[in-house]
Amino acid sequence: MIFLLLFLVGAAVLALVLLSRSHRVMNVLSLAHATAYVGIVAYALARLPLPLHADGSDYLFLDHLGAYEILVASVVFFLAALYLEGYIESLIRAEELPKRNLRLFYVAMNLLLIATAFSFASDNLAVFWIFLELTTLFSAVLVVTLNAKENIDVALKYIFIASTSMLFSFIGIILLFFLSAQATGTGTLEWSALMLHAATFSPALLLVSFLFILIGFAAKSGIAPFHTWLPHTHAKAPSAVSVVLSGAVVNMGIYGILRVFAIVHQTSALTAASWFLIGFGIFSVAVASLSMLRQRNTKRIIAFSSIEHMGVILVGIGIATRTSVFWSLAYVLAHSLAKSLLFFSAGIINRQYESNEAEDVRDIFRLQPLASLGLIVGSLTIVGMPPFLLFLPKLFIIIELGKVSLLLFFLLMLFLLIAVVAFGAFMMRLFSAVPEAGKQERIPRFPVPAKMSLTLAILITLVLALGLWFPSYVQHVIDAIVTELRF
Amino acid sequence: MIDPVFALDLIKILLVLIVLSAALIITRRDFIALTSLYAAQSFLIVLLSVGLFAIDRNPLLLIIAAITLLSKVVIIPFILTKVQRRLKMKREIEFSHLSPIGAILLAVVAFFFIYALFSGILSGLDKGVLSTVVSLAICLVFMGLIIIFTRKQTITNVIGYLTMENGVLLFSLFVAELSLLIEVLILLDLIMLIVLVALMAFGIDSSIEEFHSQLNVLDRWLGREQR
Repeated sequence: MIFLLLFLVGAAVLALVLLSRSHRVMNVLSLAHATAYVGIVAYALARLPLPLHADGSDYLFLDHLGAYEILVASVVFFLAALYLEGYIESLIRAEELPKRNLRLFYVAMNLLLIATAFSFASDNLAVFWIFLELTTLFSAVLVVTLNAKENIDVALKYIFIASTSMLFSFIGIILLFFLSAQATGTGTLEWSALMLHAATFSPALLLVSFLFILIGFAAKSGIAPFHTWLPHTHAKAPSAVSVVLSGAVVNMGIYGILRVFAIVHQTSALTAASWFLIGFGIFSVAVASLSMLRQRNTKRIIAFSSIEHMGVILVGIGIATRTSVFWSLAYVLAHSLAKSLLFFSAGIINRQYESNEAEDVRDIFRLQPLASLGLIVGSLTIVGMPPFLLFLPKLFIIIELGKVSLLLFFLLMLFLLIAVVAFGAFMMRLFSAVPEAGKQERIPRFPVPAKMSLTLAILITLVLALGLWFPSYVQHVIDAIVTELRF
Repeated sequence: MIDPVFALDLIKILLVLIVLSAALIITRRDFIALTSLYAAQSFLIVLLSVGLFAIDRNPLLLIIAAITLLSKVVIIPFILTKVQRRLKMKREIEFSHLSPIGAILLAVVAFFFIYALFSGILSGLDKGVLSTVVSLAICLVFMGLIIIFTRKQTITNVIGYLTMENGVLLFSLFVAELSLLIEVLILLDLIMLIVLVALMAFGIDSSIEEFHSQLNVLDRWLGREQR
């Protein structure tokens, strides 16, 4: 019933968007779409016995992890839809987005939400893979709707890197199917069945399968060295799309890695797989933090920070303790909200100066006080300062790594410190630029529409309030996930 | 009906021809020739599925052969040919990173490396010839990857991706057949990807207005393109 409802809501919204001629109607429909998904999944989490299997289909199910991920993604899509109308209107006025692409944009946005939700509701690894591929296509369409030819190159790079990496994942998936066939006589790719029979799988072949799968899913999450598409795509996409890409779509790769790692966790291949995850995680933090030092573009530095944070989450999963996995999942929520705040604020800065380059920004506090506050609160959150939302997840993952290896603990701390310095220095440069003498009046203020301001206000409140008081409801959900995954 | 022993010999010949087709793709520059080679490679996989059916008697193999024939021998080459006719550039001007000879040598090294890796892992399992077949299939995936790395034009990159995808199909034919629904969904996803990338290849070659006009296919279908 839940799955049918998700599908019907999505299909109805798509049909109405196709029939609509008004931007406002398309925007309200997208807002209603995300709101409905938040409501449906929140209801399932609160009232229904999970895991829940779809009637008459082996391909769909909803457990705590899937529901939690859909909830996070739907909240991000809701905020993006709230922000979108004023932002898109501004892009159209500036002729950066042709009006003829409006319907295509909203169709791709809503298809992306459907594919994201159904990927998290897939009970079959191959079906999950297909939805993951579809999200690449819909994201690429969103990137090329802008009036910029370089966006085609960026979207092609994204498609080729993500899709070729995903082909390696598919080899791993076939190997996993082969392993399950060896163990049970009939092969399966259902998460629950794979978890059940994992202990009987050949550890060596399971490790090879895991590594192949890791390549594609890591590319989807922007884990180094498969990250090269991410800074370009997130920086060139419209800001509301950057929010969806880094607040929802990158989570899908991490989700897939966590699911498959939970299967490996049942076998003696665990130690080797753990080291791979921790290694890739720290390498991602290193690559991102060192790259951040050179950045002069607001959206690019925020994009590189996504690579850093995906690395920290991967380290948390790789440590494979109950505590580290718990905080990795809390990290996913914290990162999605903090990154949304940063990209939304960067979007307003972009509309103000029609540029993302730091050198073009002048007198930002006077012209855009709310976006400035958003950038400051977002930056403090993203570097892990107390009392903001990301502080505790980051702290506990670092502490847990210290229990595994002091050397790796210091290495991670060093790269995180470099990232803090890079982010801090960039923001100082951005905020300290003042207009040349006598030119103060020449910069007209971009009038921020009320819904864009409201989006920022909601996010600033959320990252502070959730940092001070992490709801016990969310804690219970994450606890249930960790138990279901058998950590 | 085909004799199983003859079928096994046929399969071995087909495997060699499939890898040979990938080697030819690595060396050719002309877009039309590349598409024809891809269609031929896909047709060899169709024959291979039929050969495997003669041994396994699994009807799923015949269905896979039929949908592969339709999608990869007919539909995808048709789309690619249509796009190539509209592109200004008809052939790859230069190779990047590696010459074709270097690329083939790299593919040979990759094959031996993959063979060494998989023969060790699969030795404990009951299928004796599996490691050779698996190595050839993954080698085909790597040859596709080499094509992507050594070519600059989008349309040749697409052929590289499709060669990789054929390698994965070959791998799944020998290791494990997935359900029909999943095979069909994967092919639909592949066709969508090819159409989108083909549109983008056209976009790079034309103006952004023409590209957006092509991209708004929905509006054209609904007969109400916005200006």
